Amino acid sequence: MTVLKQQQTSGSRSETRRRGSPRGSKWTPYLFLAPAAVFILVFQVVPLVQEIFLSFTRTSLLNPTRSTWVGLDNFTRIFGDEDFRRTLLTTFIYVIVCVVGAVGSGLAVALLLNKGFRGRGWARALVTIPWAAPGIAVALIATWMLNPDYGIVNRFLDAVGLGVPGGAILDSPKYALPAILATTIWQLFPFTSVVLLSALQSVPPDLTEAATVDGAGRWWTFRAVTWQVIKPTIGLLAILMTIWSLRRFELIWLMTKGGPVGATETLVIDLYSEAFDSKQLGSAAAIGMVGVVVSLIVVAGSRFVARAAEREAR
Amino acid sequence: MRPLRIGLTLRILGVLVVLGVAVFPLYWMIVTALSSNSDLFAAKARLVPDFSQFGVFIDALAEGKALGWLRNSLVIALGTTVLSIGLGIPLGYALSRFSFWGKAVVTVLLLFTQMLPEALMVVPLFSLFRRFGLLDSLGGLILVNSAFVLPIVALILKGAIDGIPRALEESARVDGARPLTVLTRINVPLIAPSIAATAVIAFFHAWNEYVFAVTFIFTPGKQPASVGIANFIGELGTPIQTVMAVAFMFTLPAVVFYLFAQRHVVAGMTAGAVKG
Repeated sequence: MTVLKQQQTSGSRSETRRRGSPRGSKWTPYLFLAPAAVFILVFQVVPLVQEIFLSFTRTSLLNPTRSTWVGLDNFTRIFGDEDFRRTLLTTFIYVIVCVVGAVGSGLAVALLLNKGFRGRGWARALVTIPWAAPGIAVALIATWMLNPDYGIVNRFLDAVGLGVPGGAILDSPKYALPAILATTIWQLFPFTSVVLLSALQSVPPDLTEAATVDGAGRWWTFRAVTWQVIKPTIGLLAILMTIWSLRRFELIWLMTKGGPVGATETLVIDLYSEAFDSKQLGSAAAIGMVGVVVSLIVVAGSRFVARAAEREAR
Repeated sequence: MRPLRIGLTLRILGVLVVLGVAVFPLYWMIVTALSSNSDLFAAKARLVPDFSQFGVFIDALAEGKALGWLRNSLVIALGTTVLSIGLGIPLGYALSRFSFWGKAVVTVLLLFTQMLPEALMVVPLFSLFRRFGLLDSLGGLILVNSAFVLPIVALILKGAIDGIPRALEESARVDGARPLTVLTRINVPLIAPSIAATAVIAFFHAWNEYVFAVTFIFTPGKQPASVGIANFIGELGTPIQTVMAVAFMFTLPAVVFYLFAQRHVVAGMTAGAVKG
């Protein structure tokens, strides 16, 4: 204790503390964060460690306290499984289309709303609605709108002569994934567009004006000025959309449960049905770990790229 | 002036299309709830709500089940809001104002936990909850929802506290105030708008949550609305008008609150999610 106290009174750290942070002992910050830290430890870190452990075992949902250590078996088995490789492919398609679709449509809407016009405040607020609506309600209304017999989507498609035979879009291996993607992007575009709109509003107007005066076309002005300003925001949104899409469960689960015949099965859906339908907690955990690792790679990779770009710019 | 006029017309047209796409599904929810059976299954769809059918909302509530779901959702959501903000304010304060050993670890942890899918954590949390007798209780759901929303709440509040000049605290400190007093008397009132925004995020995180609720609650009387409404999907017994009426009552509060808090919420979500 005395040693600690001595350090506290000498040492450069205590000096910065005296200047910068509120009075109190060395332990003050820990007292402030302790309740939250305990909470995160108990409800996030410990379960995650357990889940990592499970991924190296064979464990049944029916007898979860008895685990047999199998090393990397679960991982070699799932990667050898054709269905799992298909799940991976579906996940990548889902994530990439979500990112491109949500950021792209968000940018288009943001550009549309960026110019002043009467009622823009209202338009901006109303556009937020899909993002504010609970996922459960979205899944419910989407399922109803896609109902083969009475759904408004099929009625509309039939009326314009584009009807799907039988009308069962969510039961069709060909159309189920596009339908889920459309629903997801519908829910996400308000978020991306509001974020991009505020980025667009930080574009200095004199810069775009100067470019226009210099005789630059609209496209050139966009690329040379606007795009440069919003690029970091686009990158940030792309990462966020990736993480969210890798986590998304209830929308897909409630609309198709990953079907028909696995056409909409992403990693999270696969992991849930592996745990609760097949009752294999070990391989379910392994599938989940693959998703977490992909998330980590995307985040770490994007930061690496961003840093490299920064260095190059200098 | 001619090309400008055309540009403006196209822009307005574009905005109208976007608004239509954004609003239509919720509009359709209302139309479906307010449809008579004959309209619903007629060959030609009725595109406007039939307000003479308004009784469906009253019937759905009077029947009692839906009211119970909404009440449970409210309890879970309020509990989660209070708990996550109660834990998030001191955590955000520690991260903003102090430099201490382990700060980097805490920050990375707060960012990393946002990548964990709920579906992955269901299994270990289930066994944890069974050991502590937290299964089949609204309190258990409050705990787990708070844990999942805490990182974003704490990071948003940290950002808000970062924005308060330290000089304000210094003067209080000169008067001999202790750190906790400084936090509650000086900082908390100043970050009230951010607290309100995180309250909206936390409340509706819990209001909307499904995976834990459907796995951890067994007694039908304890189900929140998210589970009750999800059970409607693919079920044929309940008239679709009732289903949509309940879903609308579940959706409306979320939409209204987000409309008010929109700017703060969106700014907070992006700042809290990837900074650091």
